[in-house]
Amino acid sequence: MFHWLERNPFFFAVGVFLVVAYAGVVTILPDFMESARPVAGTKPYTVLELAGRQIYIKDSCNACHSQLVRPFKSETDRYGMYSLSGEYAYDRPFLWGSKRTGPDLMRVGNYRTSDWHEYHMAKPTDVVPGSIMPAYKHMFSNNADIETAYAEAYTVKTVFNVPYDKPDMPKLGTFDQAKKEAFDAAAVIVADMKSTEVKEAFKRGEIKEIVALIAYLNSLK
Amino acid sequence: MNWLNDNVNVLALLGAAAILILSVGVSLKYINQMKTDKSSGELANDNWDGIGEYKNPLPIGWALSFLGTIIWGLWYFLVGYPLNSYSQIGEYNEEVNSYNTRFESKFSNPDNATLMGMGEGVFLVQCAPCHGVTGDGMNGKAANLSKWGNEDAAVATILKGAKGSGYPLIEMPAGLLDANGAKAVVAYMFKEVSGVKNTKHPELVEAGRELWATCASCHGEDGKGMGGSAPDLSAYGTAKFVVNVLGTGKKGFIGNMPQFNDGRLTNVQKLAVGTYVNSLAK
Repeated sequence: MFHWLERNPFFFAVGVFLVVAYAGVVTILPDFMESARPVAGTKPYTVLELAGRQIYIKDSCNACHSQLVRPFKSETDRYGMYSLSGEYAYDRPFLWGSKRTGPDLMRVGNYRTSDWHEYHMAKPTDVVPGSIMPAYKHMFSNNADIETAYAEAYTVKTVFNVPYDKPDMPKLGTFDQAKKEAFDAAAVIVADMKSTEVKEAFKRGEIKEIVALIAYLNSLK
Repeated sequence: MNWLNDNVNVLALLGAAAILILSVGVSLKYINQMKTDKSSGELANDNWDGIGEYKNPLPIGWALSFLGTIIWGLWYFLVGYPLNSYSQIGEYNEEVNSYNTRFESKFSNPDNATLMGMGEGVFLVQCAPCHGVTGDGMNGKAANLSKWGNEDAAVATILKGAKGSGYPLIEMPAGLLDANGAKAVVAYMFKEVSGVKNTKHPELVEAGRELWATCASCHGEDGKGMGGSAPDLSAYGTAKFVVNVLGTGKKGFIGNMPQFNDGRLTNVQKLAVGTYVNSLAK
């Protein structure tokens, strides 16, 4: 009955492809538009958060920390709600990571605070005995790159229509406006911090990398 | 071990046993048949590298199951899967909900040992990163829980003030009472208002009662916080007070504690943490 197919591998391959592709059509397409849209409440990163995100990428945090809570009870108990694809709509690139040497950071903003991050980045073993994470002391002396962060935000706004300056969305505006916004946001974090080095630098008009990184980590919810 | 209570485990064991028995039976049958059988019949035209095929009719059982699979396959392709709106996440959610229901009913009336065990587990995962594995606050990075929830701690709170729990009345200023007054009013609060109903300084209770008005203006005459305007002192010294703090979080003088109300902890787990934290207080 199927001898004809067995003698024609090309059409056999076409048949196999159709059968397998059909499964994809049924499972992927019905929900595709829905799950590709940003989840309600997902907002683009502010300029300060973007600066922190660039530091996160620069220092390769994603080599050891994932940003993806899988739907397993053990993970949702520890990290919170599992991740949805729409939550990454404004992540360019996404930072899912592929290895958890450290814990997942997808929702770290829910359960860690600015002062904890400050202690932890200065000396991880101070707060997590037995931690093998290195200290990131240079973040307390290097300045965050607000210019590049603004450039990134401006680019994605112009090229990908990321909804900056829309109602209920983060403001971007001109560079000077964005810089002022970034300083206002940084002031809140600096006020929560203990480091006199960072506080004095902020008074001189410098935002240290640690401030931007904390802004980014706090935004992960 | 209770692992036979799990349906999946039981099914797996039964399946393994069935496969074993069937394999032995079927193998023996065919091994015996191979000893005596001779092949015969008309060969089909097709020939695969010298291996031929008899033109025997398909056995009826095979034919029926082959047809049945095709029909089931078509049904599953066109109706069974697409129209039943199956989703993995949906199944996961259902499983978690049923697990949570079982969890709630299993721990609906937990005894103290259960709460302590559960509380320690949750504490080590969720609280220890800031308060330390022993709850000592790691040299002032967070509240030292061994000096918390007792009379000395309450006196210290009155003297230093308190803020940042998100109550409408916002902040308790420092120095509402002097050291002696604070000690007395705390003795009264512990004996008459709090959940402890006992004080180390019973002789100060009456003096404290007269000073209570200072506290009552915000916490209410009964200390219950005037319907959520200020912390509920009637829960002080009990697990419920810790549960309240988990709900409000705190941005106090030491640092910032996040809220634990995003569903990571169930009510029983919060109570368990409260019980465990209270046990840390010396």
